[in-house]
Amino acid sequence: MINISKSYHCVKSGFCCLLVFLCLYGKSQTNLLMEAQELCNTKQFDKAIPMLDKVVANPETKNDPASWHIRSYAYLQSFKQSTGNITTKIKLLDVSVKSAEYSILLDKENTYKDNNTAFIKNAATSYYKLCIVLLQDSLDDKKSDTCYFKYKKYTFLLYPEFNFKEKDIEYYKAKGSTFADLYVKNNFNQKYGDVAKGALLKVLELDPKNIAANINLGILYYNQGATLMRMMDYDVDLSQLDVIQENAKKLFKQSLPFMIKVYELDPKNKKALESLQGSYSALMDEEKANEFKQKKEALTEQK
Amino acid sequence: MAFSSLSFRQQPTFDPVSKGKAIFIYNFTRYFEWPEKMKSGNFIIHVIGSNANINQELNKMAAIKQVGNQKLEIKSSNTIDINLKPHIIYILNDASDQLKEVALKFKGKGALIVTEKNGLARAGAAINFVAIDNKQKFEYNKSNAVSAGLKTSDELKNLAIAVD
Repeated sequence: MINISKSYHCVKSGFCCLLVFLCLYGKSQTNLLMEAQELCNTKQFDKAIPMLDKVVANPETKNDPASWHIRSYAYLQSFKQSTGNITTKIKLLDVSVKSAEYSILLDKENTYKDNNTAFIKNAATSYYKLCIVLLQDSLDDKKSDTCYFKYKKYTFLLYPEFNFKEKDIEYYKAKGSTFADLYVKNNFNQKYGDVAKGALLKVLELDPKNIAANINLGILYYNQGATLMRMMDYDVDLSQLDVIQENAKKLFKQSLPFMIKVYELDPKNKKALESLQGSYSALMDEEKANEFKQKKEALTEQK
Repeated sequence: MAFSSLSFRQQPTFDPVSKGKAIFIYNFTRYFEWPEKMKSGNFIIHVIGSNANINQELNKMAAIKQVGNQKLEIKSSNTIDINLKPHIIYILNDASDQLKEVALKFKGKGALIVTEKNGLARAGAAINFVAIDNKQKFEYNKSNAVSAGLKTSDELKNLAIAVD
């Protein structure tokens, strides 16, 4: 995680100096901008925001980097103060970061560069925190993805050399395991299983030897096959049973490479041995199922 | 603030193979006709041998399904119970050596004998479960079903691996 809090506090304390500067510069600014600055100074961000929205739409002030800069600050503070729902908070953060970006674009003399950079850093960190909440508390994978992509976008803007590989692995692994768990807890709801599968496959694209992603993906495929069998009514006719068995078999077979990979990487991984026993048993390969059962038992005896 | 990763397991109390076998057994009740005197009372499936998963599935099935107007009843034991009048006798793998005795004792008495070990459809069973290409299939010996006292349907032969 990028640590931005230190720089952000320096900027926050320096913000008052900026307001003084703007007050001196104020003759050429509209009264509205001055008023908004005053409101920001007294932390009345909710009142300042409508004024600043007008300021950035006003031909006289819309090309002034200070207008956008103050707007970014006001929205960021409002985001921090907000006790509203997460969608409202994201909207506040979106406006803050876009205002900071636009201020940088207009700010040819880099007058506000440090502050704007700090706002963007702060927004990136906030997006990352929001994506965790959205994923693990709200279980909203789409909004979580959106926040994660924004975190990456703004981090990349500030640090073009930043290597996202570890972050991506961490994010997709958490997404995969969260939704795999939801899949089980929600009576093997396919929708959750598919989200988990997509996320875990992304982890393996980045890190093919990732033990947790391999084992979870293997188990997910197994569970999807088992669910097909489990959901069948007892009076399903034999031709239909054959079709369902065929589909379940494909899923059981798909589970094997992931479990075998874990076993190859860690032959003493009890979960891999147990899962391999289960998958081979479902495929009615008793010889292989027994092989892994014995290996699992031997491991238990060793301990 | 960081992500927490969870780990999960295979469905622990469910055996897909046993579910498949239970479905097969329920289907078999449609393809045979039992003697008139066996069309009242409970429809008894006598399971010989031990397999907790099979017993669990069959009992789950018995709780929600019927054969015509007859309630399903599962009777499990390690050896044959000659006091029962079962409609189906399912001899599990570990009890396969009892087939000969069972076939002899129940000849003509209207009990469909189902087994699950290679070669048993030629040794007295009417139905024998086999695994082919990682799927559950079954062998069907019509002669053994007839000598058990059952009326048979040719339709089943089309779905099975015929051995006679």
